[in-house]
Amino acid sequence: MIYLLPQAVDQSADKYPDHEAMRFNGQGITYAELARRTDKLARLLSVQGVRKGDRVGIYLNKSLESAVAIYGIMKAGAAYVPLDPLAPISRLKLVIEDCGIRHIVSHPPKAKSIQELISECPGLECVVGLALTETSVRSVTWEAVNSLPSGSAPALNLMEHDLAYIMYTSGSTGKPKGMMHTHYSGLSYAKMAADVYGVTHQDRLSNHSPLHFDMSTFDYFSGPLCGATTIIIPEAYTKLPASLSKLVQDERMTIWYSVPFALIQMLLNGVMAERDWSALRWVLFGGEPFTPKHLRALMQRLPQTRFSNVYGPAEVNQCTFYHVPPQPEDKDEQVPIGRVWANSEGLVVDENDQPVQPGEVGELLVRTPTMMRGYWGRPDLTERGFYRRKTLGYLEDIFYRTGDLVQELPDGELLFLGRKDRQVKIRGYRVELDEVETALSRHPQVDENATYALPLADGNAVIEAVVILKPGAAVTAMELKGHLATHLPPYAVPEKILLMSDFPRTTSGKIDRRALKEQALVALDGAGG
Amino acid sequence: MDIKEQIKQFIIVELAGQPGLALGNDDDLLLSGLVDSLGVVRLIGFLEEQTGVNIPPGEITIENFGTVNAMAAYLGAKVVSG
Repeated sequence: MIYLLPQAVDQSADKYPDHEAMRFNGQGITYAELARRTDKLARLLSVQGVRKGDRVGIYLNKSLESAVAIYGIMKAGAAYVPLDPLAPISRLKLVIEDCGIRHIVSHPPKAKSIQELISECPGLECVVGLALTETSVRSVTWEAVNSLPSGSAPALNLMEHDLAYIMYTSGSTGKPKGMMHTHYSGLSYAKMAADVYGVTHQDRLSNHSPLHFDMSTFDYFSGPLCGATTIIIPEAYTKLPASLSKLVQDERMTIWYSVPFALIQMLLNGVMAERDWSALRWVLFGGEPFTPKHLRALMQRLPQTRFSNVYGPAEVNQCTFYHVPPQPEDKDEQVPIGRVWANSEGLVVDENDQPVQPGEVGELLVRTPTMMRGYWGRPDLTERGFYRRKTLGYLEDIFYRTGDLVQELPDGELLFLGRKDRQVKIRGYRVELDEVETALSRHPQVDENATYALPLADGNAVIEAVVILKPGAAVTAMELKGHLATHLPPYAVPEKILLMSDFPRTTSGKIDRRALKEQALVALDGAGG
Repeated sequence: MDIKEQIKQFIIVELAGQPGLALGNDDDLLLSGLVDSLGVVRLIGFLEEQTGVNIPPGEITIENFGTVNAMAAYLGAKVVSG
């Protein structure tokens, strides 16, 4: 019986020892090798002081080591915490200190940033994956890990409800919040997704998303559960559609999963007419809506491929899906997010948590085994994030409040309509606009500021900020962007910052963000955007 | 200013907003986070404008755009071949 995520790797190593589990840049690692290497890493971490329930950071560019790190850490009984390799040091420090990370798994390309992290985070004790000098922090290279004698991972009394991984996401107060997932929630998701999309050991999955983005769990969990091969796509390919579309062809990928942005880029600039994607049987997209005209064009180009809209906040991994039928030429509405999937329950409620009439707009609440336990160290946020329904007299069913507004269509499918709060999606990444404003307000020369997201014609969105400086201040917009780049991940830094002398206000004197956004949209139209 | 310097200036000032940043001709631009997907689009627009060369989507690849040196070599060959 499989009840822990790493058991998926060991099971596939028994069934398909010589089958490739992961591929990266033309190189592969078999299931037998992945099982061996993760056992070694787990033993090493244990010797270095990692105990059951600890949190271990993963600070890696995409690489085969990503898979070794994820499963090795979990085999050591710890939860893995992906650290965004592109995030500024100040933000990583918040994460490392928030969940008390003492050990990090990394590799030589990150050596310079690791040195900075060590000087910023006195709690760090050990770095695996590179050699450090002139520091009291212990280090063990990958060569040393791999040359350990073979042997099984430490014997631990782990249960399915123990922590498996923590993923951090934007928090509205300016402090990222960590979603605690268990072996149970992660494995429930892996099994459900494998079932819905019929994943087998013959499949070749794309890994487009970075580790700190929850979509990566399909590639890293469902793949090994089924003995499939996951193609880890190097960062550079994700930015060059013509190279990316060639990789899909050359690696004969069978299931693709990403935000719509990556697919739209390939559709528009990926010289698709020259590519052979005949191996591709299923395209999964999620994270944000897919512009209907682009979705239709991509589906027409790939008539043999199925398409599914996948929905679910990272707190629940996934909770609905919609298998997209061929889209008629005259239809330009968003495709639905579908129905709540098996072994799950959804409610659409009003402001008072009362179910709305079918067809009315409300917030989606979800109860599902794929749900997180809560936010690390934040009972307040956790309590607010859940809705508790009394059952059996004195017990509770716990639902996650998605914050997403939906509407049930006559045929029972759910349509996504927007957010209850000020969270926006930038190329699939969640950004709390309040967090951007908090970061801007920390600049000593900023008096007031406001941010808003603008939709672009290609289906993307960009963040813009407007700023009133303090009297006598002389900082430029570019310098403010530089300030934000040291506090926020790259996708959360506004595309444009405008300096103003005053803002439109509401009658109560508050900043009128709606009016600001409308002004900006007019300016965007005027510029031909 | 030669094309390599122009590219570097564009990246660190216009794309990254960090004018003081040191950037090597062989640095992996696409891994570093200095240039994201939208940055690539802006960079291509800039290069087409500066050099008068038309850059078709099929040639915007890792081989041609992974580093400053790769871009300079690619553009140099385009100019020679007309």
